[in-house]
Amino acid sequence: MIRFENVTKVYEQNARPALDSVSLEINRGEFTFLVGASGSGKSTFLRLILKEDKASSGSVYVAGQNVANISSWRVPKLRRGIGVVFQDFRLLPQKNVFANVAFAMQVIGKSRSIIRETVPEVLKTVGLEGKERRMPHELSGGEQQRVAIARAVVNRPGILLADEPTGNLDPITSMGIMGVLDKINQNGTTVVMATHDDDIVNEMRRRVVELKNGKVIRDEAKALYTSMIPVVGESRRLRDASGEELNRAQGAQL
Amino acid sequence: MRLLFILGEIGSGLRRNLSMVISVVLVTFVSLTFVGAAGMLQMQINQMKGFWYDKVQVAVFLCNDGSTAVGCASGSATKEQQANLQAMLESPAVKPYINDFQFESQAEAYKHFKEQFSNSPIVDSVSEDQLPASFRINMKNPEKYEIISETFSSQPGVETVSDQRQVLERIFSWMNGASVAAIGVAAVMIFCAVLLITTTIRLSAFSRRRETGIMRLVGASKMVIQLPFILEGVIAAVVGALLASVTLWLMAHFWLNGDLSRQFLNTPFISSTQVLVIAPVLVALGAGLAGISSLLTLRRYLKV
Repeated sequence: MIRFENVTKVYEQNARPALDSVSLEINRGEFTFLVGASGSGKSTFLRLILKEDKASSGSVYVAGQNVANISSWRVPKLRRGIGVVFQDFRLLPQKNVFANVAFAMQVIGKSRSIIRETVPEVLKTVGLEGKERRMPHELSGGEQQRVAIARAVVNRPGILLADEPTGNLDPITSMGIMGVLDKINQNGTTVVMATHDDDIVNEMRRRVVELKNGKVIRDEAKALYTSMIPVVGESRRLRDASGEELNRAQGAQL
Repeated sequence: MRLLFILGEIGSGLRRNLSMVISVVLVTFVSLTFVGAAGMLQMQINQMKGFWYDKVQVAVFLCNDGSTAVGCASGSATKEQQANLQAMLESPAVKPYINDFQFESQAEAYKHFKEQFSNSPIVDSVSEDQLPASFRINMKNPEKYEIISETFSSQPGVETVSDQRQVLERIFSWMNGASVAAIGVAAVMIFCAVLLITTTIRLSAFSRRRETGIMRLVGASKMVIQLPFILEGVIAAVVGALLASVTLWLMAHFWLNGDLSRQFLNTPFISSTQVLVIAPVLVALGAGLAGISSLLTLRRYLKV
């Protein structure tokens, strides 16, 4: 579903590549966690899938298509096949729950009758039945994130990207959100979730891809947030070491 | 559905930026009024040219009692002098240059004078013998005025040869100057309008960046995202253009065809329906300017 072939991304102002020859394949229907410290390249990874950024070298394939070959006027079509959820929900504050979800269908020209039929269904999937008329500020953080998820999946994308969706939520609410994402994944949607939340990763036991300084340093199925297996090569020890050691290592790199 | 959606977006955009939209409307209104005024002046010049160039040509004025010109030393022009001039006009040396000519006697001159100044008290102070008789010559090519002037001005009984076109040319050049000035003001105002539209669209794009960001992520097409912004600018500019058109029409209707045409009975003024020719040009100009400037702004400030 998603394939990275030796992908490197260099932002001009930054000498160190945000992604450093990453090769990775995520299959259809898989649930993958993307873990790693801030600045390890998780967000860049997601942005490349959306064609928000262009890879400096290497190829990114989404649903069998090399995104570099997608012309700019066909990018919207690519994005219709990908749902995205963020840490800060990004709901429209002046629209109610129903309108927020319907918005995603309106802008791609879905008919009113289809919208009226689909939106309540999706709201039911994410557990927001009966809250169609609520405004975003009347909802809890977890509920707001559920609205955001509903909006991301209402057009039935094959892929759902989640960029730290539980970053603003307490552990119990987070587990609720994970339940929703799991349900969506069970319905056949490929889910890629970037996260810092070790509890969630450990609880879910799904594939874990760990990035560090733009490189994949671990890719394990049914894994934990921190690996049980010692990693060859690249300073596994530093990552697990005390904060002091970590800082020294980063300082040495600058 | 998408059309309704876009219309809704436009409505909310216009409401949110109401004060900016009003300023865009006013600035385009003023600038396009100047453009239209320049256009009207040109139309007026053409109208007057068409009207007068047929009628007013070269006039050879004959001496009357009060004349002081060299050729008038013997006093008022005699019948012989008049016949002589007429013969010259019909001679092969002059004839090829003229279409036809007419003799206007003092009595006729007085009659025309009275018609022309019917509203003015000056009529009462002018008597028939104060006005000169004249040959009114219709030239084949008005530019060849010099030939007539050289041939006739030194003839006995001729007071002066005047190219009445020159009088008109002076009026026309004044009107041309005015229309250039109007275009100059219009250019400055249009520049302001473009800057203002650019700023408005930028603000609008900024205040709706949340929506456009989401639209982008869920795969809305470039058109659906950008069209509301572009149309916002275009609608404001078109409203300004319509206001300008209405203003020009009112000016033509109540001023040119009202007060002015009562004062200058013999001047053909452009009609208010002729102004309606300018209106579509103004609307197209306003819409085009707004469309292009918003498109360029969006390219810079709205990522799609």
